[in-house]
Amino acid sequence: MTPDPQKTPTEPVSVTITSKHFGDITVREEQIITFSPGLLGFSELHRYVLIEHGQDSPFLWLQCVDKADLAFVVIDPIFVLPDYQIGPINGVHKELDVQNLRDLKVLVILTIPPGRPQDMTANLMGPLLINLANRRGKQLVLESSPYSHKHPVLPAKG
Amino acid sequence: MLILTRKIGEGIILGDDIRIAVLEIRGKQIRIGIEAPPNVVVLREEIYQRIQEENLQAAGVRDVDLKEIANLWKTKKANDPGSTENPD
Repeated sequence: MTPDPQKTPTEPVSVTITSKHFGDITVREEQIITFSPGLLGFSELHRYVLIEHGQDSPFLWLQCVDKADLAFVVIDPIFVLPDYQIGPINGVHKELDVQNLRDLKVLVILTIPPGRPQDMTANLMGPLLINLANRRGKQLVLESSPYSHKHPVLPAKG
Repeated sequence: MLILTRKIGEGIILGDDIRIAVLEIRGKQIRIGIEAPPNVVVLREEIYQRIQEENLQAAGVRDVDLKEIANLWKTKKANDPGSTENPD
């Protein structure tokens, strides 16, 4: 794509990602969520966007802006464990500059075994916190919580 | 690996703003105090590895058919009337 010479600096900046799952997607800069530090194991990658799957689906994609083939399936933990609580996180509020608790979004990453989607698990031990007001995010690790990093999402068969 | 010998109460400084101190030794266990800025991740190694490994597995998902997952989800909802989700 060639740069548009007509573009004025006042227009919102957009980024096009050639994603593995969605092909080319264009996102506005204000949609980009910055995780700093990055997710554990991906500390060099900071910029992500959330993509909805569909109206009836609780699942979302967390697509990395700077690495096309990196995307996570995420879900609001209320769908997995209705009384899920991340506990006291005062330090994180400060870090993400949370002004209003309503801006705080919690998501958990799903692990989907290849060929066995019914065995998917949610990582309740390493939730993602996103301040929707400033689009800053962080992966927490709930070290002394009762939650598992492999919590079953669907009931076992039988 | 850098190896240092410290006594109880003595510390080690990493960079400008991280301090690690040996607080107590009880048999085979050592209590360590860590002072670090909030943006520095401090975790027990095995916990860090567990979450990192889980992230890597989650990212390794290839060509996930979210429709299939959404269908599994609908089946769960249909079979789970006691669920707290909003009926629709």
